[in-house]
Amino acid sequence: MYRYDEFDAAIVRERVDQFRGQVSRRLDGTLLEDEFKPLRLQNGVYLQLHAYMLRVAIPYGQLDPAKLRRLADIAERYDRGYGHFTTRQNIQFNWVGLKDIPDVLQSLSEVEMHAIQTSGNCIRNVTSDHFAGAAQDEVMDPRPWCEIIRQWSTFHPEFAFLPRKFKIAVTAAEDDRAAIRVHDIGLHIRRRDGQIGFEVHVGGGQGRTPVIATKLNDFVPETELLDYLEAIMRVYNRFGRRDNKYKARIKILVTETGADEFRRLVDTEYAAKTDAEKIALPQAEIDRIHAYFAPPDLTRKPARSQILETAQAANPAFQRWIRVNLHPHKQAGYASITISLKPIGGLAGDATTAQMRVVAKLAEEYGHDDIRVTHAQNLVLPHVALDDLPALYADLDGAGLATANEGLVTDMIVCPGLDYCNLANARSIPVGQDIQQTFADPDYQEDIGRLHINISGCINACGHHHVGHIGILGVDRKGEEFYQISLGGRADHHAAIGDIAGRALSREEVPDAIKRIIDTYRDLRTSAAEPFIETLNRLGHTPFKEAIYAAD
Amino acid sequence: MTSVRPKLKPETPKAITAWDTASGQTVWLSADGQWTSDMTRLGVFTGRAAEDRLNEARAQEHLVTDPYFMEVTAAGTIAGRETLRETIRAQGPTVPYGEVPR
Repeated sequence: MYRYDEFDAAIVRERVDQFRGQVSRRLDGTLLEDEFKPLRLQNGVYLQLHAYMLRVAIPYGQLDPAKLRRLADIAERYDRGYGHFTTRQNIQFNWVGLKDIPDVLQSLSEVEMHAIQTSGNCIRNVTSDHFAGAAQDEVMDPRPWCEIIRQWSTFHPEFAFLPRKFKIAVTAAEDDRAAIRVHDIGLHIRRRDGQIGFEVHVGGGQGRTPVIATKLNDFVPETELLDYLEAIMRVYNRFGRRDNKYKARIKILVTETGADEFRRLVDTEYAAKTDAEKIALPQAEIDRIHAYFAPPDLTRKPARSQILETAQAANPAFQRWIRVNLHPHKQAGYASITISLKPIGGLAGDATTAQMRVVAKLAEEYGHDDIRVTHAQNLVLPHVALDDLPALYADLDGAGLATANEGLVTDMIVCPGLDYCNLANARSIPVGQDIQQTFADPDYQEDIGRLHINISGCINACGHHHVGHIGILGVDRKGEEFYQISLGGRADHHAAIGDIAGRALSREEVPDAIKRIIDTYRDLRTSAAEPFIETLNRLGHTPFKEAIYAAD
Repeated sequence: MTSVRPKLKPETPKAITAWDTASGQTVWLSADGQWTSDMTRLGVFTGRAAEDRLNEARAQEHLVTDPYFMEVTAAGTIAGRETLRETIRAQGPTVPYGEVPR
């Protein structure tokens, strides 16, 4: 993990002091809200439906036990005993008082954390594969490049006031677990002739105008990456629309300009950079950052674990958890495990102080001090010995953290919706809970297999409904909540935007309609090995749409 | 100003609600001009008097942020198309959260 140097520490400390002064001036009336709002947003502070919300950056979703414990302490002391992990691998506190936020930021700074650039029209937290550094299918660990991009984009004076917010995601695996094609810039690390480079996708995004990103470049060599990114940002900063916030994201510029012309503009900008302007990242600096992400010292172990197999045979619930929540590790004898934050009837992405402390302890005992936040709002311990899994499971189970549903129908992405959000039109959380209850039977879930349901409470799409295999969008109809179903979205390397199925449903109709879709899939699939999304693509949407409205 | 809420007719009974600037919590303006977190104490206003009260509220930014009209009945209970939103602002999320038994 990257560690702050003296300059990082000083700049974060000074930023806390600066914001403390700004809050003080807001509270004594010297600063009015219109003046204060851009200042608080630059420090991750939103005003939500019934409280302030503080969004804390978790760079590329990586935590260590000290950081997670500090987040738990903050939740306990300044919030209401829990935090909410987000689709951009950050954490949000929903009830922090403005007067306390400087103290919270001070506390975060002591463990090398902050809330800078978690809001505002700047480059936000760089997100990545939650299995980075452990996954069998990656060409390299993408985190060093996330860190390099983070350092380049943090306080970059040229990109502090972009037309709109800007999100970058990086993956190094063929199976895209970072949703790079629905980001403003998505980077896929490739290896070609022994050289590392970046496949660059640009102009993806969700919100009210969902767009799958355009591939802009097949291979940008690593030493040229920052200059190439800077060329994209300059074109966006210059030509991106500022007259209408709903048309200000780079996806609109790329769409309106056309991919070929946009590429030409970027290439021209890139070529125009003088040698003096070029960042031309030196190999020594690349190597220095990579050194922070050295793999943990994993003792050599056999590929099979007798301890694990014995425990599995004795405990069907544990066996299921291993089957569902385990991801293969690049080193034999180890695994990455997902800690689901989606218990049946729970709140997606929420973790209590007690749960955060349990995960911190387990990461120390079994996980080489490494914890990840996933873009699907779960946690991951990326490096666990197979021999340790029974003990790990027992402790997780005791903390309500052993739900075996990673990637299954109850592992939904759910935005906070109208229960928390000032922009939402409808509630998301209770709809998700109702659907979870419908599919609570773990055998039923496993039989259905991989299926992503994503729920948003408004068109801003924080719940990623556009890229859910089944997407659910809350809409307001004269004060009543309705829900629009879409089919066929996906966020992976075959990314697609879902199609709206038809008329919106009342909240009460939703769970049964989802069940009819899924039962139709079970009737029509070639075998249990054919996932929902493949059956949908093979047959088209018609039988599933008919299933939704079968009750009409 | 962050909230763009539905426009209410002058004669529609309305309360004035905002966020307490220091804590962020929901507050309402009482009939005697005090900000209160007790919804039962909210004042009901109409017509020109309501507009005057809202303008006065907007001048108290050190105390409250983004005051606006919310529709209520003459008796002061939440009404209109934003009933669910305002109920959640008054009572909090409709789902148990935090340290709750599951």
